[in-house]
Amino acid sequence: MRLSLTTAFAAATCVLVLAALFMVFVYVPTEATQGIVQRIFYFHVPCAWVAFLGFGLGAIAGAFYLFFAQQVWDDIGYSAVEVGMLFCTLVLITGSLWAKPIWGTWWTWDSRLTTTFILWLLYAGYLLLRVIGEESERVARLAAVVAIVAVLDIPLIVISVRLWRTIHPAVLVTRSGEHGLEDPRMLQTLAVSMLAVSALSAWLFWMRLKTVRARSRLFQLRRVLAATQALRNGAP
Amino acid sequence: MLAGFRALLHKDLTLERRGGRVVVEISVLSLLVLVVLVIAYGPQAGQRPVAAAGALWVALILSGLSGASLAVSAEHENDCLTGLRLSPLEPATIYAAKVAGAALTMAVSQAATLLLLVLFFNLQFDLNLLRLIPVLLLGTFGLCAISTLLGTVTSRLRAGEMLLALLAAPLYVPELIAGVKASAAVLGGASLTAVVLPLKILAACDLLFAVCGYLLFEYLAA
Repeated sequence: MRLSLTTAFAAATCVLVLAALFMVFVYVPTEATQGIVQRIFYFHVPCAWVAFLGFGLGAIAGAFYLFFAQQVWDDIGYSAVEVGMLFCTLVLITGSLWAKPIWGTWWTWDSRLTTTFILWLLYAGYLLLRVIGEESERVARLAAVVAIVAVLDIPLIVISVRLWRTIHPAVLVTRSGEHGLEDPRMLQTLAVSMLAVSALSAWLFWMRLKTVRARSRLFQLRRVLAATQALRNGAP
Repeated sequence: MLAGFRALLHKDLTLERRGGRVVVEISVLSLLVLVVLVIAYGPQAGQRPVAAAGALWVALILSGLSGASLAVSAEHENDCLTGLRLSPLEPATIYAAKVAGAALTMAVSQAATLLLLVLFFNLQFDLNLLRLIPVLLLGTFGLCAISTLLGTVTSRLRAGEMLLALLAAPLYVPELIAGVKASAAVLGGASLTAVVLPLKILAACDLLFAVCGYLLFEYLAA
């Protein structure tokens, strides 16, 4: 039986995710100071990476849509932002789950948390615009502009730890410039987790894009049908 | 380009001078917001410059979003925006004129808001208020820049005002944080040199919004 590319990719993603789960819960040693709750890090960081990637792709697709005015770029942008939004929400949730036992609070208005929450709000506005606004070129253009402007928050999230005081841990690059993962198994687990979440997000993006493309095609056909009927009714 | 900018700005200001709709509406909205916040803060409000700064910026944002929406939606009557687009004026010139008009209109209503702030929060008519002016001007410009850009489309959609608030408010948060910090410090007696960093953030955000609007307005006005 020949497998389609999508099915093969889905199977590979499953394997990767299972491998990541095994490494996170069995293979990697427990961190000395934070204990078992530190394992959230191996979900939190990949989700953040994928969220930024999704929003970045949404902004690039938005720029291409404004420039080339081709529906495919709007569809790519919409799908990418949806997937990015899913993983951004997971970033906030996993972050809160980690923060409660470590900081004693679910949330604090730390610079990194605040800028990440702003990012979430911006793209929540984008998605609401797509839902509330009608299916039109005008709304698609506004959505593209919002995606382009909102993505500028991502460099702000990265440099926020240098601009303002923060209690957010710096693990990947510590303030002295080294990385904070002492055991090589931690780095290996992080790498596999990154790969697994990236593959999962790519698969979700692909599935979503297929749906969005089909819907765009449907709207296009409806417009053509309406125009044809109007012509026919207007004909003598 | 300058002649076109001046002509458009003159048109908007003349309409506002004759009708006075935007200034009156956003001034009344600011008044209501301040009244609600003074009541919500309770009798201690008059003793805290931080409370006054927060109230001022809440009034600024709510009234500013409403004002920008009104200013842009006026161009949709009789499809005036299409007429402007068909003129030899560049889209960026139209955008610059709309932002300038909105900013000047808001500045007028903010003078009234500042007066109410002094009355409600027991402030003094002193040098602190003068130091507040550059902070407010920078904040107003940024709000007008982003609201005018987004309002060009949202004013034509159903639930447009809510969408404008949903889209513009998160974008405005960095300016809001810097503006409130600077305002609270200045109202508490700090000099402008002590609030250089928030002022820089305000200026940087203003520049960013203005450049984005300059580059992207033509795609939204089409």
